[in-house]
Order: sequence, then structure tokens, then C-alpha cells
Amino acid sequence: MKKSAMFALTTVAAMAVSVFSTHAEDFKIGLSNGWVGSEWRTQMIDEAKAAAEAWKAKGVNVEVVVQSANVDVPGQIAHVRNFMSQGVNAIIINPNSPTAFDPIFKQAKQQDILVIATDAEVSSKDATYVGIDQKAWGAAGAKWLAETLGGKGNVVAINGVAGHPANEMRVAGYKEVFGQYPDIKVVNEVNANWDQAQGQQAMQNLLATYPDISGVWVQDGMAAGAWKSIIDAKKQSSIAATGEIRKDFIDIWKSDKLNSGASVNPPGVMASALNVAVLMLQGKELKEPATAGQYGNAMYLPIPFIDNKNLDEAANAVDGKPGYYSYTSQLSIEDAEKLFK
Amino acid sequence: MQQTLSTSVANASPLKSVLQRFPFVPALIILIALVALNGFFQPRSLSFGSITGLFSTYLALMLLAVAQTYVVFSSDIDLSAGSIVSLVNVVIIVLMEKWGGGGLTVIAACLVGILTGLACGVVNGIMIAGLRLQAIVATFATSIFFTGLALYVLPVAGTPAPEAYWLTYGGTYFGIPFIFYVVAAVAIILGVLARMRLTTQMLAVGDDAMAAFQTGLPVTMIRIKGYVLCGLFSALAALCITGDTASGDPLVGSKMTLYSVAAVVLGGSALSGGAGTVTGSLIGALIIGLINSLVFFVGTPSEWQNLVQGLAILIALMAGILVSRGGRA
Repeated sequence: MKKSAMFALTTVAAMAVSVFSTHAEDFKIGLSNGWVGSEWRTQMIDEAKAAAEAWKAKGVNVEVVVQSANVDVPGQIAHVRNFMSQGVNAIIINPNSPTAFDPIFKQAKQQDILVIATDAEVSSKDATYVGIDQKAWGAAGAKWLAETLGGKGNVVAINGVAGHPANEMRVAGYKEVFGQYPDIKVVNEVNANWDQAQGQQAMQNLLATYPDISGVWVQDGMAAGAWKSIIDAKKQSSIAATGEIRKDFIDIWKSDKLNSGASVNPPGVMASALNVAVLMLQGKELKEPATAGQYGNAMYLPIPFIDNKNLDEAANAVDGKPGYYSYTSQLSIEDAEKLFK
Repeated sequence: MQQTLSTSVANASPLKSVLQRFPFVPALIILIALVALNGFFQPRSLSFGSITGLFSTYLALMLLAVAQTYVVFSSDIDLSAGSIVSLVNVVIIVLMEKWGGGGLTVIAACLVGILTGLACGVVNGIMIAGLRLQAIVATFATSIFFTGLALYVLPVAGTPAPEAYWLTYGGTYFGIPFIFYVVAAVAIILGVLARMRLTTQMLAVGDDAMAAFQTGLPVTMIRIKGYVLCGLFSALAALCITGDTASGDPLVGSKMTLYSVAAVVLGGSALSGGAGTVTGSLIGALIIGLINSLVFFVGTPSEWQNLVQGLAILIALMAGILVSRGGRA
């Protein structure tokens, strides 16, 4: 009896919500991406579009408009202005600069536009960051490496672009972890600009210079390049190195039984941000306000980790996808709802 | 050069003589067409607020295009212009932070920034005109050097500009947005520069350096002056970008360099030197901005936006050349 009453109530509530939503819940969300140099970004946009589509089942009509092109910082500020001209309800941006958008986000806020940054944090008080903590991302790989090496050994690091905020945070992350292991010595750190070929070249040089290294901390696509050099030098049995999340690499990792571990920065972050944005547009409030991070405006998403224990699961998840497809995860609508009051 | 000019004007069609005197006319026609198209697809893009936004965002690129023009005049090129923007940006941000961010210190920091830009120009000028290094490679090298300096001054993007600075840049005075005062001031400076002997001398060097040398022009000095002007306007571009972004970023200008070269060419200047106008470059920068907006306003799917944007710039280039040829025929 009680159960059926509850059921009836929820049904009525659901109907009320859906009736209400068909009338009022039309949202227009602008997605801005300022760099199209990798498939990861393409996948990020595609997943966000699919996430918007999924809201239809909930009776919410989310229209996305996308601006995705290689632009400089002023060009991406123009993206935001274009969205403002078009009259969107929210803007989700993968920003080219952490600080350069403060004035324009302030203007967007004045027009009652919700601004969410993803993948890279922004300093603006008028925006919320929904994405992973890049520092924790860097630390997770370092922790895996330190533990795999039993807390001692010579390690090299291959970093991305010097001065790029995500790179600097990741570097801070691994430095903090390696600092806790007195017997781990970072013998050299080089920049390979997130380029697979440069990563391979850098690794070759490092292998030639330091024959006794036992660990490599390397990020993203550069990991595939670095591992190629390690395999070419036939050192894969004596070296542990961090890996990456594209299917091509996961396949090699599995078939060659590499000693690797990879922090996952999922391309689904923008889809997660979109789900959070829609709930915010519905007027819902976060249980815990987004106040994390150095700018006090971040809401951090969980960071999956792939190592040899769950490698098979990861390999299954990307099975049948093209080689450039990245292992992904996102905050589903239901997961996102749990974060709200 | 004077010779060919006078004979061709004598038996020229009206279009031809207009193009002779105003080589940026094709660019202007393209600009007007783009404004109309933007307005057609998104009427709100022609609102006063949007136009102000357009200038506020692209003023930096316009100034950088002007900077590039002064070296292109004498058939040089500056691939370090964007890095100078980054360097000046972080220098003034760090100084404003150190000195407290009050009104006078902001102005002092801007002056140091301008001096930094001038110094970069002198370095480039001496490298290329003085030591005879190839401009394209030498400035590629100095661009890496200036970026390195910028990273030394401010290792990672951050550090907000004082509110006094960016609220002024984004503010409105006597009913007119501040940036339009900047536009007016720049127009006056450019007008004066265009009437100076130096501009003609730079064009003469670009037209035929050997001939210019033989007529007694100090070619080396003229080319160095071109690079110094380039440094100056790159620094001014940095002041604008700092106003629009309100922060320091040691990589902010790196992607702008090639856009500045594209703007120069779109504006009707010849990369081989000897012919061109700064007005054209200003228009060229706006064309790039409007193309980016138009690609979005017509509703191009995201996966095609880069392709369409590239095609649109190519079409603008071709249209410009066709109009010029029509004038010559």
C-alpha cells in the first residue's frame, strides 16, 4: 500500500516535471574549444554533444552550438562574444589561458550567462571549473611509479609545454610525490611539448645519457613515443614508465605486457560539465559549493587510473573503437544529480 | 619607381588609379561584405556592443598587423612579433604587481613595456640589417629567445592586472568606449607616420634595396628602424591584449604572429616589399576577426570550422587579387 502510494506520487511528480519541462526547459549551451590539434578534443566535443542529446529522454531540450578551431587567446575571447551575441544560456569552454578570460566572463555573467570551464582551470570568479585536478593527475602517475619501483631508483620526467598551466600543475604533482620518496632520484626533466615524436626523441636521448634509469614519468601522447624508444632499446623489462589512454597504446601495452600505469584525463570531462551546467540552469544548487583548487571555483571529478590490474577492463572498454579513441568516463546525469540538493 | 607610377597613372582606367592610390580598396570591399554577411546571419552582431567587442578583441591583432607591415615594407618579416607581445605582456603585469598597481605605477609599467618592445626591435634590427642574417630564420630564433625571457619573467600564466588597468580599457568615457579613443589615437599616429619620409624610404628599400643603396639611402639604418617600429607596435598590441585579458600569460602572443602576417597580405601589401599600406593591414586584421565570427554564425558544424575558416581566408585573398588584376588590365 505504502509502496504503491509512493509509486503513484513519484509518477505524478515525474509527469508534472515532464509536463513542466516540455514548456519551459529549452536550454542553449555554447561549447568553445580553442585547439583542435588532437583527437582527444574531437572526442571531447562529440561526447558533450551526445550528452546534450541524452537530456531529451528527461524532457529537457538542450541545444548545443559549437565553436571549435585553432585560435589564439583573442580568438577564443571572440568565441565567447559570439555566444553572447547569439544569446546562449550557458557557455562551456576549454580555455586557452587560465587568466585571460576574467573580463569577458564578467560580461557574460552580467548577461546572466552561466560559464563553466573544463579541462583547464580559470581564475575568473564568475566561472566554475568542472574537470579533473591536474595536480592530482600528475601525482597519481608518480605514486604508481614510485610504488612500482619499490621506492627507489633513478627517474626521468618528460613534460609538456613549459609555462602551460596544466603542465605546471602536473609537474608540481609529481614533484610532491617523488619528494616523499628519498631514494627516488629525478635525474633529468625535459620538455617535449606534448608531441609524440618529440617524446620519442627525448626518450632516445635520455636512454643514451642515463643507461641506469629505472623509471619514466611521461604524459599523454608523448608516452606512446617514449615507450617506442624504450622498446626499440629493448629495455622494456627493466624500465617502468607511465602510459597513456588511447586504444593504440592500450593494445601495445596489453600485447607486450608493459610495466605501465596511466592516469586518465577522460575526454568525457566536457560532457560531465554539460550535465552539471544543465542542472545549474534548472536552478538547482550544489550540495557542496565548488570552492576547490587554487582559484576557489573548482569542482573536481574523479580521476580513473589504469594499471596492469584493470588493464583488461580498459582494453574491453575501447574494444572495436578506432586507434585514436581515448579511454573515457563521464559524470552521468544521475551521478551529477547526486551532487545537487 | 616614381617613373613607372607617373606613366601608369597617365593612361589608367579609373579603377586602376584608385587602386594605385588606395591599394587597400579590395580589402575594404571584402570587409564591407563580411560585415553585411555577419549582420545577415546574426543581426545582433551589428549591435553597438558587439562592434565594440569586435574592436576590443581584435585591436591587438590590428596593431600587430601594423607592426608587421613596417618590416614587410622593406621586404623583411618578423616572426617574433607575437613573442614580443608575450614578453611585454608579462613585463608590465609583473611590474604593475610589484609596484602596487596605482595609477602612476600603471603608466610607468606601460612605459617600461614599450621600452621592452623597442629593445626587442633593436635586437631584431641589428641581427637582420646589421649582421645580415636571414630575417625569417633570425626572427624565428629571436621568437624562441623572447618566449624564453617571458617564461623567465613569469613562469606560468596568472597574476591578474590591477583593476585600474582593465576597467579603464573596458570602460566608457563621455558615452564612448575607451577603445575607440585608442583607435583614434592610433589612427592619428599612423597618419603622421604615413606622411613621414621614413615610410617612403622603407618602401624604396623593399622595392629594390640595391637601387635604394645606390641612390644614397642608409639601407641598414632604415631596415633597423622598421624593426624598431615593429617592436613599438608589438608593445602597443601587448598593452591592448593586457587590457582585454587582464592578466599575464607568457604564451599569449605566440599564435598571433602568423595571423599578423596574414592580415598584412589580406590588406593588399606585398610580402616581397615595396608596396602596401598600414590601413590595409588594419582592415586585414578585422577581416580575419569577422571571418572567424561568420564561420560560427552561419552554423558551420564544429568538425568543419577550421576547414571553412581556412577556405574563407583563401577566398578573401583570391578576391583581393582578382580585384587588383581587374584594375591592372
